[in-house]
Amino acid sequence: MSNKAIECQTRSNRLGVVPMILLENASKIYANKVLALDGASLYIDRSEFVFIVGPSGAGKSTLVRLIYREELPTSGRVVVFDKDLSKMRPREVPFFRRRIGVVFQDFKLLEDRTVFENVAFALRVTDSTRREIRRRVPAVLELVGLRDKQKSYPRQLSGGEQQRVSLARAIVNNPELVVADEPTGNLDPDTAWEIFQLLREINRRGTTVVVATHAREIVNRFGKRVIALKDGQVVRDEEKGVYSSEG
Amino acid sequence: MRVRTWTYLVGQSLQGIRRHLHMSLASVTTMAVSLFVLGVFVVASLNLSYVAEVIESQIEIRAYLYDDIPAQGILDLEVAISALEYVTDVEYVDKDTALSRLKEQLGPQADLLEAVEEMNPLRNSFVVKVEAPEFVGLVASQVEEFQGVAKVDHRQDLMSRLSAVIRAIRVSALFIILLLGVATILIISNTVRLAVLSRQREVYIMKLVGATDSFIRWPFFLEGMLLGLAGAAVASFVLDRAYDWFLANVYVMLPFVPVLAKQPMLQVVSLGLITLGTAIGALGSSIPLKRFLRV
Repeated sequence: MSNKAIECQTRSNRLGVVPMILLENASKIYANKVLALDGASLYIDRSEFVFIVGPSGAGKSTLVRLIYREELPTSGRVVVFDKDLSKMRPREVPFFRRRIGVVFQDFKLLEDRTVFENVAFALRVTDSTRREIRRRVPAVLELVGLRDKQKSYPRQLSGGEQQRVSLARAIVNNPELVVADEPTGNLDPDTAWEIFQLLREINRRGTTVVVATHAREIVNRFGKRVIALKDGQVVRDEEKGVYSSEG
Repeated sequence: MRVRTWTYLVGQSLQGIRRHLHMSLASVTTMAVSLFVLGVFVVASLNLSYVAEVIESQIEIRAYLYDDIPAQGILDLEVAISALEYVTDVEYVDKDTALSRLKEQLGPQADLLEAVEEMNPLRNSFVVKVEAPEFVGLVASQVEEFQGVAKVDHRQDLMSRLSAVIRAIRVSALFIILLLGVATILIISNTVRLAVLSRQREVYIMKLVGATDSFIRWPFFLEGMLLGLAGAAVASFVLDRAYDWFLANVYVMLPFVPVLAKQPMLQVVSLGLITLGTAIGALGSSIPLKRFLRV
């Protein structure tokens, strides 16, 4: 376990705070024998804004997948919201996921539905009333600056706009945690900056944000906590960090 | 789940059909065609069975009597024959009735009989019916023993061969229907499975935003059910029309072949097709989902 993780854990134990995300010696070996994560340990507190950086294949995506439980660790522990994900029963998973908003590089929008429906989708599954949906969806679309595009279809939008829709979908449930995997990988730098501004805004409202990214400039300008991965291991964990210590 | 969620899910299944109209049409067409073929075979074999039944019911033994038997003797004989095992019906046909029946059968050529009408050469007889063709020989030999019986006529050889043929046809029809039924199920469930596969992405996103498995599965289930119902309805409709056409065009050319009336047979067959189509549609679209739900 890295020093930072131990330090955080002892601090939270002292305060009796429930950890938001805790990885203990987590490893992931995929079916094709690839070792994607090699004994990673880290601790993320409530309301933190954390960048996960590292070269391609360092294990960033795997780390994100472990957090929202698309994958389970081969060994070690992943604890989110005080729940050990390996011990979670399948029927609990949907309710666990409703507390997390997930954002992908390729947006993962439903092409045959309007912007409004794509965002409303996340509320439909939670038994929300029509009134709630009519209130919540325009509100989050307002937040991401797409109030006037409600009736558009994803293909009619630019990449940046599509990513905002997927951000809106991720936060419409008021999740405690938002995880993003390369959210700006397909976007130009200006648009990327806008997306990160939105993520920072979401974080300001109290949501924990974890972003795996390659956007060096932005990471350096943001001055937030940076966890660097290399070959599936945590090699650096700094408060107010930069993209790479060498550069 | 709440009522509004159910409303949403039903709406989703309808929209699913609309959004994937191409796939939906392909599924309905496949189901309609395969269920129609199945239906044709069922109807054909039901008719074959019916033909067999009619032929078997016509199997009879004819016992010709001497002319000099008194009325009481005829009555006694009738009682004795009726008492035999396997006999289901005994009818007395006197020589005059026999002659007029023969006339009827000959129709326009009845005048051939004019020459013999004065001294009717036909005999009084009994027409004996038995339970099944295999008893014909046994009963005939017993009837032959009775006094007053001049001669017994039966076509045991022909009858037993015919009933063997009929039995073989029945068995093979049943076999073909079973085979077709399995093929139909495979074809339909494969089509529906492809439709579901094309929506893997949708299912993945649903899982990501925290949809429960049943929430994801219900629209697929309802959708498959609706598509199955539609396919079966088309098949039943076409089958109904086809049978009308058959009765109007083929049956009139083969008036001596017994054919089943359209109803209630087609009602039963249609009901079967609709049940089968709906069930396969529903199960075929929700079972393959299981694999994608493991996200």
